[in-house]
Amino acid sequence: MKAQRGRFYPDAMDTWPEAKLRRYQLQRLRLVLQHARRGLSFYRQLYGEAKSRPGAVRSFEDFARLPTFTKKDVLDAIRNNKSFRTGIESRERADAGVLCMTSGTLGTSFLYLPRRWAEIRGDSLARAYWWAGLRPGMRMLMAAPAWHSLAVQETRVIHRLGVTCVVPWGTFLPRHASGFLAAIAEVRPDFVSIFLPMLYALLAECRRQNLRPADAFRSVQNVLVVGAPMTPLSRAKLREELGVKDLFEGLGNPEGLTAMECSHHGGHHIFVDCCYVEIIDPRSGAPLPAEKRGNVVITSLIPHGSAYIRYDTEDVGEILPGSCPCGRTWPLLEVYDRRVNAVEVARKEIFPYDVRLCVDKVPELIHIPFALLRGRGTAQLLKLKVQKPAGGAGEVLASRLKTHIKEALGVEARVEWTEELPQRWKGVAVIDEENEGRPRV
Amino acid sequence: MRKLKQLIGQASAAPFYQRKLAMISAGASSSLKAFTQKAPTTTLEELIAEKRATGDPYSSRWNKDRAPLVVFQLEYDSETSLYIGLGREELAGYAEALRRCWSLLGLRRGDGVGIFDYGTSPVSYLASSAFTPYLRRGAADALGCVVICNDGGANMSRRAVEIIKYVRPRILFLRSDCLHPFALEVEKESISLSDYTGALVAVENEAVLSTADREAYEKRLAVRIYRMLRIDAAMFLAVECPRCRLLHTWQDLFLVESPAQDNNEGANPGPTPLVITNWFAKSCPAIRYVSQVKATLEPAGCPRGPKDVRIAA
Repeated sequence: MKAQRGRFYPDAMDTWPEAKLRRYQLQRLRLVLQHARRGLSFYRQLYGEAKSRPGAVRSFEDFARLPTFTKKDVLDAIRNNKSFRTGIESRERADAGVLCMTSGTLGTSFLYLPRRWAEIRGDSLARAYWWAGLRPGMRMLMAAPAWHSLAVQETRVIHRLGVTCVVPWGTFLPRHASGFLAAIAEVRPDFVSIFLPMLYALLAECRRQNLRPADAFRSVQNVLVVGAPMTPLSRAKLREELGVKDLFEGLGNPEGLTAMECSHHGGHHIFVDCCYVEIIDPRSGAPLPAEKRGNVVITSLIPHGSAYIRYDTEDVGEILPGSCPCGRTWPLLEVYDRRVNAVEVARKEIFPYDVRLCVDKVPELIHIPFALLRGRGTAQLLKLKVQKPAGGAGEVLASRLKTHIKEALGVEARVEWTEELPQRWKGVAVIDEENEGRPRV
Repeated sequence: MRKLKQLIGQASAAPFYQRKLAMISAGASSSLKAFTQKAPTTTLEELIAEKRATGDPYSSRWNKDRAPLVVFQLEYDSETSLYIGLGREELAGYAEALRRCWSLLGLRRGDGVGIFDYGTSPVSYLASSAFTPYLRRGAADALGCVVICNDGGANMSRRAVEIIKYVRPRILFLRSDCLHPFALEVEKESISLSDYTGALVAVENEAVLSTADREAYEKRLAVRIYRMLRIDAAMFLAVECPRCRLLHTWQDLFLVESPAQDNNEGANPGPTPLVITNWFAKSCPAIRYVSQVKATLEPAGCPRGPKDVRIAA
């Protein structure tokens, strides 16, 4: 990012030739490893046990031989130390910092984020918001979940891009939807940054209030969503319903990943200025080439605060092949779901996102919630519970859906209509049948 | 009285106050006494009515041509949402009030501070410049504390207990309505709260945890519980002093009145609604805002803050 009249605007780094980007990334990786060797006990122990030599890393291949770790390792360290201090973080006493948290199915871990971290990551994220159309002088709606690192980054983005903001009361849970909707309609932001499930909650609130979403969103030019994947068809439908110019999807995690769509929506450009991404085979740990799905492993390139190095997110994703028509050289990433949400059918690993693509091909079912049912072991049939659409459900809709699933995924499906799905605020549910039909949250 | 004249001058640029203040004579700004006798009060109902009548999100209180840097929707259970607009000055003054609350509670450099409230509560967003755009220095920045927030929903109690266990904050601020679910979670985990934290501070907007409830929770959780008062429409904060157990606030930031008390010199009329005038809220003024908190003003003189305004609520 470069300074211009006191504000920051994206520089040309996103069009650097690949070789230059790789040189930059290797240099940053070595800097982060140096930081880890000097002051982070978690890595000294991890590398010591694995007999790895981070100081000897000269190439990406060397780097790929360092051990990975998962959230469970972090949680174990927290429990063993009886403290959020796991040795992943450096405490910079001269630099005021905050603690943020990650939430998830496994438990809560903590990140120490000093001011320098917020500056670097926030300035990087400002580029993403710029791509999504946020400009100086605009007003942005932001949720303020101060427990999450995105709030810290957005604070920096707003300041750096010189925009103003409106913050609705509460947090991005559906019960706060009416307040969020009022803030959009009354304070009239130009730009909305929102958690995708909350956007769906806003649409439901519009229906409840008998309000056209496009009327509520009249002032809004662009929307940036995070938190769950949007399919191309659901994006198109959302754009039409909201009457906005475009919707952009951001991907990320507090540990170090930022990836963002450009206006071509052909995947998420990895923000290589701040993170290094690898896709690995979950069984062997071997790096996978583009177009192969595997576990997403990330390394934060910011040597401040909590520094995650070869952190296996246990998300399933792939690097997309080819280059983006936008001309940016930052690689494209797609993330599908958490690995634990995989359902094995006829020896195929299927994720809710794969099914969502099929569901969305039936226009009556776009935005309709569904859940996958998972039994013990491999099933021969993909079982879905789908909430009945407002216009009613029937064998014809089920048949069309099953045809799309067969064509796209190569498996047979059984569709069960239901009045109401277990409410899960974050993404699509996978229901374990042996768990008495309760969603796995 | 320059401060008073300035405030009236700035407030008069906001349509809402322009109308209200037009009715008072110039003498109202000659002294604080004249001001409190002549300047009209502002109620929540008036702000709601103004918002509904004009559609202006700030209830016609915003007095500048330029939009506020940060707009917060307020926590009021009203039929229409209310908002405050903040510029740099308001953010700085409001954060200073929070810093003083923290100082009074004894928070110092290096202390951990937990907050179990929404990010949109001033208790959270004024805590650190990391949480709020254009806030130069939050309470934690000023004091050198490390702060951690948790969403203020009752269902987040388990995570609040994890904060207690693994961060060991010297003080945990929490919403009064989260006290019960938090206490249940503490009991479920069978932890001795005082091994992990020095005190809890129960916070509410335009209400204060009752003394009986406070005592019951202190007994149940075996930890000191202090109270903190927010009056968000007036950008007001006060906190209970560990020494005198009265709420303290600061006269250079707020003018606090208890009108019935003021009009009954010598006689004690009992608790009456607190009336707040904010000295630092210049772009979105709050003049003689009648809160829903009934209290009495007590004489200054606590050793922890000899000049502080003291409130018994």
